[in-house]
Amino acid sequence: MDVFVIGQAVHKPAARIGDKRLEELVFDTTHAALADAGVKRAQIDHVTIAGCDELDGRSISSMLLAAPAGAQLRDEMKCTDSGLTGLCLEAMRLEAEIFDLGLLVSWSKPSTAPLEDVMRMRCEPFYTRPVGLNMAITDGLFAQAAGAKYGFDEFDADEAVLDSYRRAGRNPRGMGHAVPHVEAIATSPYVATPLRQAHQAPITDGAVAMVVASARWLKSNPRAKPLARVSGIGWRNEEYDLGADRLAGLSGFRATLDDALKMAGVKSTADLDLLELDSQTGFHELAYRAVLNGHAPKAISTSGGAFAQNPYFCTGLINAAEAILQLSDQAGPIQIPGAKRAVAHGSHGFAQQGNVAVVLERV
Amino acid sequence: MAKDIVAVIGAAQTKFKTHYADKTYIELAQDAAKLAMDEAGVTPDEIDAVVFSMAPTQFMGVNDCDRWATSHVWGAGKPYMRIHAGGATGGSALQAGYVHIASGVYRTVLVVGADRVAETPDAQHILNLIWDRFYEHDFALNTVTMTALAAQRYMARYGATEEQFARVVVRGRKNAMGNPYAHLKGAITVDDVMNSPRVAYPYKRFDICPRSSGAAAVVLSNLDVAKQKCARPAFVNGVSAITHSVFMGDRMGVYSETEFADHDGEHIAAYEAYRQAGITDPASQIQVAELYDPFSTFQFPIVEGLGFCGRGRAAAISDEGGWDMVGGQVAVNPSGGTLCTNPIGVTGLVRIVDAANQIMGKAGQNQLPGVHNAVATAAGGSTQFFTVTMLGDDHVAPRTNV
Amino acid sequence: MSAAAAIDDVIHGEWHVRYNYSVGKVAGHFFEGLKQKKILASFAPSSGIAYLPPRAYCERSFEPCDGWVEAGHQGIIEAATIVTAAFENLPPPPYAIAYVRLDNVSTALVNFVRGLDLSDVPAAASKLKPGTKVKVVFKDTPEGRITDFHYELAE
Repeated sequence: MDVFVIGQAVHKPAARIGDKRLEELVFDTTHAALADAGVKRAQIDHVTIAGCDELDGRSISSMLLAAPAGAQLRDEMKCTDSGLTGLCLEAMRLEAEIFDLGLLVSWSKPSTAPLEDVMRMRCEPFYTRPVGLNMAITDGLFAQAAGAKYGFDEFDADEAVLDSYRRAGRNPRGMGHAVPHVEAIATSPYVATPLRQAHQAPITDGAVAMVVASARWLKSNPRAKPLARVSGIGWRNEEYDLGADRLAGLSGFRATLDDALKMAGVKSTADLDLLELDSQTGFHELAYRAVLNGHAPKAISTSGGAFAQNPYFCTGLINAAEAILQLSDQAGPIQIPGAKRAVAHGSHGFAQQGNVAVVLERV
Repeated sequence: MAKDIVAVIGAAQTKFKTHYADKTYIELAQDAAKLAMDEAGVTPDEIDAVVFSMAPTQFMGVNDCDRWATSHVWGAGKPYMRIHAGGATGGSALQAGYVHIASGVYRTVLVVGADRVAETPDAQHILNLIWDRFYEHDFALNTVTMTALAAQRYMARYGATEEQFARVVVRGRKNAMGNPYAHLKGAITVDDVMNSPRVAYPYKRFDICPRSSGAAAVVLSNLDVAKQKCARPAFVNGVSAITHSVFMGDRMGVYSETEFADHDGEHIAAYEAYRQAGITDPASQIQVAELYDPFSTFQFPIVEGLGFCGRGRAAAISDEGGWDMVGGQVAVNPSGGTLCTNPIGVTGLVRIVDAANQIMGKAGQNQLPGVHNAVATAAGGSTQFFTVTMLGDDHVAPRTNV
Repeated sequence: MSAAAAIDDVIHGEWHVRYNYSVGKVAGHFFEGLKQKKILASFAPSSGIAYLPPRAYCERSFEPCDGWVEAGHQGIIEAATIVTAAFENLPPPPYAIAYVRLDNVSTALVNFVRGLDLSDVPAAASKLKPGTKVKVVFKDTPEGRITDFHYELAE
């Protein structure tokens, strides 16, 4: 796959971005990505959007947000799974060779509506909604099942969270959450056992935009400097119904990484300089690392991942933006010298029903 | 010109009706997936990836319901994504499936979806909530009033009358009599339409589509798989979409780039799809048009935008039978169209199914002879999202510089 | 189980989710203007377009709208309809709405048209054709909502 990110922007995160209408958040981020790429909107021939109506509190949120995402009188397509799924779709659109220069825009402003109530309504009405599932409850189920399978417990999760906050604390683009004392994590209230409140990555508002180009466009615009190449993409869904195998098997996570690496011609995760994981809780971080055991990349979640910022839905695409900064030597104090190849991971749905992976390479 | 050639090798739909009391949402989606795979002669194992077609979930009442449907449409363990562009969803989902294959990433893709618009009695309330909370939400805008505004503007520009729109309804319901899947059908008269209760000027009840429940699915493949599986595939030769600003007030008047009454995003998209498909004279090269026309007033600006006749001419040609299924210059909505059946999340996909089956010779009682090219459209949002897809019985020349 | 039994059972559900939509500075300025009976359009110097509803950015030039112009209280109808059917959670019919392009502004803004006899719908509709002049009428005590004003026929 030969698709290139030539510019990007990530909005400054906040627990609640209260001073902007959603439309302004999207425009400002898109405008900044175009400026970073040094191209005008007039040059863009298509737009890909990743957005979630229910989180935005709008029945068809792209009605309002397509134009500020640069899509006025352009060929625009929207997926609703996750920001990183949007990057996979955008990469295929360019690889199909009907377009040359695109915008990929994704946003999430969970502060607009009670997130867990929106998640609760993802339950079908017959079997699960009367009982009541949401993100935290399914993550609690996952934590128990994965812990039993891979041999970790909540004390290990306390340490994993602490470690994530330490990495996040070094990332100047994150929220700058204070690193909590391990005791504070261990005594925070249970949300859904064994998951405690402090095991969860705090939800934030945010937006991210990328300018993405075909190889053909780069050839005819030699002055443009690509930040990174997208060389592999993978995304898979697992079953909606939660059983022990579905929860702890992590088959979607494994298959997604395999798909993306295979397309990029990379043999193993051990050949990666960086893997940015979308770990919504400390238990997720432990489970993903357990799967990678023996084939660990050189670095994992250097940015701090969801503990740096977590605009739920966009977090995987933020991981991609962080990986792209590493591959273009723009990661600042957390730069991995000479990083050549990275994978951004994203997850979505109850107990990561969906997983996404994108292989990015230095140009 | 895309990297890989893409073909429809199986296309299917369920019957459409107001309520499906005997099935859940996911069972309905499953029915369409099964039917389409049977038509294509493929098993679920042969499907590489799934694209789910679903518009706002508020009608059927489960957020992100594509996740619920994953296993039922044989998507579990597979690459799976949902496309959502309001009413244009089905057209956009097909085009997303197209890039899965045209990019060379996958060989066989199932595009599937279902909707149950009547699961809530609050459908038009939901369609009011799509408007901007600050500026437009308060004014009773919904899909009915919004398109009534465009229709009134079209009437003022070109002199079309309520009776001429009524004739579109009469023709659609009549065509639908030969379509076993259509929701509304039957022999009605212009007077029946004119005498149905007024809703929002110029609309009477019969000018407006029903709220439908049902499902549709399409199996797409690359050329190699198509050759193995299908004697007469419908090749996807052109895909294009155009998005406008949500603000309808930006699309009217002397300062506007585009004309709201003309649905001219559809025109821009159509001519890009034609360019890809090598269509230079649409009125003579295209035999079937399956249009997204949930209101009687959509057909005229759309057929004009598609280049079948000049601006303002479609109503008179309609009166003369120019868009009739038999004997017209182009058979417009031989299925009966969206005016007879509107399951919002899959309506655009139903247009593809009906157009593809005309090319594949599988349109049953309404099959027309000699269909070489068919066009399928979709529209959504504040009539702001438009898709146009060109289907043909032969593929355009493959790229030589792969 | 009887083979003939019709399957027609439902589980009732309702969904009420509260939302707090951030207003931001552009819309905030507009709604403040309404309190002074002023309709303020955002202006994009890059394209010369004055937008209502106000936009933070210009869709055509994709540059910020960093100016403001005050809209006139007269304008012309671009599109109108008379709603004669009752919809849940919407006003009782009949009522008229119109997109009106106000003086000094490039785009049209929707609002109710009041003060028109709607008893004969086609006759009333013929008075709301595109190009018809209308005026803005404000409430006595505006609250900073879009419904602080409505349109009426100018003559």
